[in-house]
Amino acid sequence: MTVSTLNAEQLSCFHFKASFSPCMILQLTRIDFDALEQQLKQTIAKAPNLFMGSPVVVDLEKIKTQGVLNFIKLKHILMSVGLVPIGVRGGNKEQHEAAIIDGLPILTNQKLTVNEKEQPAVHNTHKESTPTFAKFVTTPIRSGMQIYAKGCDLIVAAAVSPGAELLADGSIHIYGPLRGRALAGVQGNTDARIFCRTLENAELVSIAGYYLTKEDIQTNEAKDGTIQIYLDNTRVRILSL
Amino acid sequence: MTKIIVITSGKGGVGKTTTSASFAVGLAKKGYKTAVIDFDIGLRNLDLIMGCERRVVYDFVNVIRKEANLNQALIRDKHIKDLFILPASQTRDKEALTIEGVGLILAELNKTFDYIVCDSPAGIERGAQLAMYFADSAIVVTNPEVSSVRDSDRMLGLLTSKTKRAEEGRDPIEEHLLLTRYSPKRVTRGEMLSLSDVNEILAIPLLGVIPESPAVLRASNSGEPVILAEESDAGQAYADAIGRFLGEEIPHRFIAEKNHWLKRLLRFKEKEAI
Repeated sequence: MTVSTLNAEQLSCFHFKASFSPCMILQLTRIDFDALEQQLKQTIAKAPNLFMGSPVVVDLEKIKTQGVLNFIKLKHILMSVGLVPIGVRGGNKEQHEAAIIDGLPILTNQKLTVNEKEQPAVHNTHKESTPTFAKFVTTPIRSGMQIYAKGCDLIVAAAVSPGAELLADGSIHIYGPLRGRALAGVQGNTDARIFCRTLENAELVSIAGYYLTKEDIQTNEAKDGTIQIYLDNTRVRILSL
Repeated sequence: MTKIIVITSGKGGVGKTTTSASFAVGLAKKGYKTAVIDFDIGLRNLDLIMGCERRVVYDFVNVIRKEANLNQALIRDKHIKDLFILPASQTRDKEALTIEGVGLILAELNKTFDYIVCDSPAGIERGAQLAMYFADSAIVVTNPEVSSVRDSDRMLGLLTSKTKRAEEGRDPIEEHLLLTRYSPKRVTRGEMLSLSDVNEILAIPLLGVIPESPAVLRASNSGEPVILAEESDAGQAYADAIGRFLGEEIPHRFIAEKNHWLKRLLRFKEKEAI
């Protein structure tokens, strides 16, 4: 870094940074301020700490055909229950003009369309991903290969060679001999388990970061048959079923 | 239809070049027009094993760089017609190989040859990956010891993912296991992995078992591929393996320890003496 850029940075007293902060959306379904105030109070009374001082964006999409509303009054109602209105989105042109006059900025339409587009997309992927509760592998997993089942279980109907590595966010089921490593619950799921049939030559088994090495595994009695490996507090246990 | 065979192992010194030479000779002897290519750029050995080192003028890299054409670089074998050798360059390294260059050479050989045998260098780097990239069939050469088995396992993984067939989603490469330097006697003594130990881990079809044999070293030094030493056990084992590769049904030999009745009697006597 040169001296001049260093000075420039020292001189500036602010930076613009792009960022997205989480905030609540209050979607109005009709213009009835008395009912709104009453219902808000009831809802917030259930968890006052959760809502206290929360920024909210008022979504006008569902009332955009219903004319201009009194934003000053709306601001008072929201602030009286502890919410801080920071802007509006959706709605029609007249509503936008009134909102700006009353000191509420408009969050761009573009953002709204993006949000609207995103939602069905999310729904679609959700529908597609619903049946993927496990990743299947039926070919041998050779030394140096790494298989990761992201966000699901891993089922291996083949041999796992020494030097191969299985990873899953969920549980791991192995129907061939396990001679490599198996790491279940790699994102920290302590309920993940490993099921296998022979463990004698496994190099390492791990649940949510707690592991047993080959040495530990070999001193264990359960090595053949149907074996279950699970986490008991912070200890990895091997159980013959 | 030309078939490209890669002879690979991962580990060095297990017998890839010996196998490449014997395989090329064996296929040519059966009447197939065969080319054998040395992919071990910088560590040229195949020409020595094939006994043509004094006739090398142009090499693989010269052809890739268009400094010579393929016919100038191909060396015709002294003994067997229909056998040609494309030697490696000794003065360059494996970075001189390009995927396009290798592809062009193989495409040209495809026009006239029945079999192309690619002798892979050791390791898993560029030379080895290019040797396997275009292959239809792989012969994985393994010694009966743990490090060789692990390296072969790694190569099998690469064969299923890093080849043209795999990338294009065509039928996977045919995989064959060739177990070399096998000594049944040392297996019995527990000094060597047995065939079943190796098979358990690699689990691919067995093409043959080549016994540990002084004939192999003799053949290398004299520049005559061991398959030509027809009276030797290793030579016969290679001939069997080629027969199996071409679809013949030949029972496996050299797997069990030879138990001559006289030897057995002597051993019995030894026990008596103790």
